[in-house]
Parts: sequence; structure tokens; C-alpha cells
Amino acid sequence: MMVIFIAALFFGSACNKTEDPENKAGKLHLYFQHEIDSVPIEFDTLKYTNAAGNPYLVTEIQYFISDVVLYRNDKTQQLLDAGEDIHYVDTDLPETLTYKLTDDIVPGTFDSISFTFGINEVKNQSQLFVNPPESNMFWPELLGGGYHYMKLNGKWKDTGDTIRPFNFHMGIGQIYDTATGEITAYVQNYFRVSLPNSSFTISNAEELALTLVMDVNQWFEAPHNYDFNEWGGMIMQNQAAMQTARENGHNVFNLLKNNSK
Amino acid sequence: MKKCIKNGRGKNKALEMSRSFLFWLGLAFLFFSSCREKNTLEDDFKPTPYQIDIPFGFPTKLNIPEDNPMTVEGVKLGRFLFYDGRLSGRTHPDSLMSCATCHRQERSFEAGVDHPDFPGGFPHGLSGVQTHHVMLPMINLAWNLNGYGWSGFLYPENEMPYFRNIEDFVRLAVMAKDEIDGDTSRTKALIQSIPGYPELFRKAFGSEQVTFTNIGKAIAQFVRTLISANSRFDKYMKGEVQLSQSELNGYVLFTTEEGADCFHCHGGFGNPLFTTHLFYNNGKDSLFTDPMDRFLVTQDPMDRGAYKATTLRNIELTGPYMHDGRFATLEEVIGFYSQGLKPSPSVSPLMHHINDGGIQLTPSEKEDLLNFIKTLRDDEFLSNPDFAKPDKFPDED
Repeated sequence: MMVIFIAALFFGSACNKTEDPENKAGKLHLYFQHEIDSVPIEFDTLKYTNAAGNPYLVTEIQYFISDVVLYRNDKTQQLLDAGEDIHYVDTDLPETLTYKLTDDIVPGTFDSISFTFGINEVKNQSQLFVNPPESNMFWPELLGGGYHYMKLNGKWKDTGDTIRPFNFHMGIGQIYDTATGEITAYVQNYFRVSLPNSSFTISNAEELALTLVMDVNQWFEAPHNYDFNEWGGMIMQNQAAMQTARENGHNVFNLLKNNSK
Repeated sequence: MKKCIKNGRGKNKALEMSRSFLFWLGLAFLFFSSCREKNTLEDDFKPTPYQIDIPFGFPTKLNIPEDNPMTVEGVKLGRFLFYDGRLSGRTHPDSLMSCATCHRQERSFEAGVDHPDFPGGFPHGLSGVQTHHVMLPMINLAWNLNGYGWSGFLYPENEMPYFRNIEDFVRLAVMAKDEIDGDTSRTKALIQSIPGYPELFRKAFGSEQVTFTNIGKAIAQFVRTLISANSRFDKYMKGEVQLSQSELNGYVLFTTEEGADCFHCHGGFGNPLFTTHLFYNNGKDSLFTDPMDRFLVTQDPMDRGAYKATTLRNIELTGPYMHDGRFATLEEVIGFYSQGLKPSPSVSPLMHHINDGGIQLTPSEKEDLLNFIKTLRDDEFLSNPDFAKPDKFPDED
């Protein structure tokens, strides 16, 4: 009898519990756009010029972002979707251009957002993804394993007006013994992208939509001019080139605020 | 009179009621007996689910249509039909043709350059017309999510029904001039008439009525069981065998960008299908006249000269190579990638040695690469009795 009474009390109190209409969780949806000189990319069209003066075209861009963190104006932070926090973006696959994070977000004002470009060394393990398209991003075991952080494929026109392919591929780098050619160490080339001037507010029950815009030209300038004629078309086994790309990568993204629900 | 008539009417009415009662009784009997028969049939239709065991590292996403779940009975029926020459709808010995006429297990379900009827591995149909392209691999197809055929013209999202999956390939193969050159009505009528088949259809699909839809479904189910995942390379990755130094050198070449750089399109440890199932212009030509390249599907000029990257599993056995079979041997293929590439506006940017004519392998590197590729041969698959021609067809029991 006592058990029934306690149970009734419990359920009764549960039913009487009301949600605080002033403090209903919000959500974050990220959208991805890819531009050159502030205009959406026209793929496969040789109409762009980078800072080094290389005419080029883009065929496709495929990459991972992970570990999205929001920074509140009270200096606390929230890592979103810690369990499923790696998102694949592919300009050939429209469904990948939206990343709906599932974690609840307590409404409030945020100073900024940051994320990892690529995958950190703890998670970037071979066989993490068995299904395509992510599995097609695998990075060979010999070169460090795991996955490409990015495949940016296209073509550029060299100084002799010859069109050449480039595979601007980023992932784990290698240090080679110059005498033997053997790999002596691996380098984690993932990096954090912070968008400091990206303050925004999430209201009660709001699904905030933010757009991350990649400006491809930024990969090739600031702080380093990246000259295809110097680096050539492939960089998977060229840590110096990947280091250059990594340092340029901090300025590649900017944030747009969309209309929210 | 009126009364008489009335009485007469009453008598007639009683008679009518009596007849009516018998009529309804009979109808009810028929109805219930029919229901009982139907229930018996339905009760008896309990196909056994067929579970595909996913090999280590293989994708968990499978391309199996919702309206054709895999069953043990469906696979069994499909295997009979795959091998039965009467799939052509004909019985004369010269007119028999089945899937297995071209798709030979010992050649990893392709024709192979040594096919007795198709010299060089170029198949032709019963009409004598040669197929437009050479054959594609028929292994691990349950993991193909990006379209079947060299151009990928059969894909699940296709707005055109009958152009979506392996089931539709069966229909096309039966009707095509360059394959069976038959018609579906004749085929299903002949299969219906063969003792044993109706019972197998009932067990697989719940009805003895042979339909071509169910013929396609059964064969597609069998084809989806053709899984090759136990090559020497697989055993090496599982630590069961050791590869030779030459094979290991070849593996390094295969998976490095400054080596042969095969892995971006053809996979490796991280993509054990050994194909992305995507489409690439790999630099075979500078001019494109084939109306059945990837452009056929996308209408994108940058897909001119692009074709599906095939799996390299068992590739040693499946010549001739490329969509048009221009290379008879793997040595020729490696030679092409090493020194024979041709530039064009639509060549894939992954062919980053295009301006040098290829990857410029030395003779010993070519040998190493070839030796590695041969480690992808799966002898267990090639002799698996579950995939072989049945000892007897249903009417031979």
C-alpha cells in the first residue's frame, strides 16, 4: 500500500511538473558554403586566380570538421555532440552541406564558435568509418592512417600555360629521413578554427542556423602565398606544404547568421 | 386467382428462398474453402531470412531494395535461374543462355580472356551482336551504392522504374540484342512449365505463378551473395599470412601518392572494397565518342570519358580491362598508367601525372605493383560450392 502511495505521489508530482517557458533548450544547425572572392564557386571552370597569380579551377572539396564548441559570454563553453562530433562535407553531396547538431543548448548569448578542421589524433583511427562517402577519405596506413582531413581537387595553369591537376590533400604528415627516405615521425596537421567575431544569441527553443563559409582562395594566401608552381600538384607526402596549408587554414572560414526558426 | 397467384407466389417464393439459401450456402462454402486454401498458402510461406555476413572493414550500408529482402529460398531459386540456360526462353541447345554463360565463377564471374565462346573476353549475345562494353565485376555488388554499369545508369534514385538495381539488369539482359535477345513473356512461360520451378517460386515469393519481376528478384538475391573478401591480402591484414617483399613494395606503391597512387580510386585497407564505385576519366583518350560514358547519366561535359572504377579484387582473372577491353593483361594496364596517359579537359584531377604521361614506374616497380595486385585474388571465393552451378536443376530431381 505504501509502495502504491509513493508511486502515485511520484507520478503525480511528475505530471505536475511544468516546463519553464523562459528557458527551453535551443539547437544549432550549421550550413556550409564554398566561395571564392565572396561568390559561390563555379566548379570545373578555370576562372579563379590565387594570391600567387596561379589561374585555377576547383573540381570538388571534401573535408571533415569536428569538436564544435560554443563560447558563452559568461566565459563558459559547451562541446556539442561529443559522441558523434565528426561531420563530413562534400560539395558533390548536397545532404552533407547541413550539420544538425543534436545537443540541447541553454539559451543565451555567445561570443564565438570554434571547431576542429580535420580530426584529432584520438579519434582519427583507421576503420573509424566503414561506410562511404567517409570511408573514401581514408589515409593510407603507411602515411599515418586515419582519414584525409580534406581533399581539395582541381587544376591550375602553370607558367607555360599547361593545365595541371592539383590534389590539395591534408592529413597526417610524415617526417622523412633524408638519407634513407624512411619515415621517422608523423605530424598531426589538424587545427582549431576559431571565429572570434561571431557573437550570436540563441533564444528559447530556437534552432539557430549558422553558415560556415569557406573561401577557397584563403587556402593559398595569408600568411603564406601558396604557389602551385612551387609546391606542385600533390602534397600528401610533403609536410612543408601541408604545414603551409595548415597555417593558412585558420583564415579560411567565416560565419554567416541565417534566419532561424 | 389473386389468392392462387398469391399462393403460387408464396410457393415460388419458398422455392426461391430455398434456392437462394443453397446458393449462399454454396458461395459461403466456396468462400471459406478458398480462404482456407489461401490461409494454408500464406501459412506455408515463411521464407528464411538470409543474413549477409559483413566482412571485416566492409561497409555496413547495403544496397538491398526494400521490396526484395534476402531469403534463403530466394537465393536458392536465384542460383538455379542464374545457371539455367532456359532463362533465354528457349530449349534448343544452340539457344540456351543464362547469366553463367558469360559470368564464370572461375573468372570471378566475368568472361575472362580465355572464354571458349568469346575470344579475348568480348561477349556477344544469342543474336551474335557484341556487347557495347566488356563486362564489369560481379562481386561484392551489395555494397555498390553509386549505380551499376560502366556509366552507373542503374541507380536506386532513378526516376525511371526498371533502371534502378540488379533486378532491372536481369530484365535488360534477357531482352538485350547483345545478350540473351529474348522476351520476358517467353522466359517466364518456359520457367513456369518446368517441373520444380513453381514450387521454388512459391517457397521464395509465396506464389507458384512465375513472374519476371520475381525472376529478377531471385537472381539479384543470388548475385548479392557473391562476396569475395578472403584474398591473401585480407589474410595478411588479419595477420594470417606474410606477403613477399615484392608484394609489400607493391602495396607501398599502391597506397602512396608519390608511388603509383592507386588508392584514391581503388581503395585499400581503409576501403576494402578496392573501389570507390565512383566514376573517373582516367586518361585513356583525348577524344570521346562513346555515347555510353558517365556523361550519359549526368549530362556534365566534365564526365566525358569517365567510367566506373572497378574493384581490383580478383582483377588478375577478369581481363580484358577498361570499359572497351583495350588491354588484355594487367601488365598492359600498369604500362598504361605508367607511360600511356592522355590529357583532356575532363581528365580527373586525381590523375596528377597526366602531363608526364603517367607515373613513370621502373620495370621492378611495375613487377612489384603487379605482384601486390595479384594478392587480391580470392581462391576460396573462386571455388566456393555455394556459388557454383547446382548439381541438378529443379526438373532433374
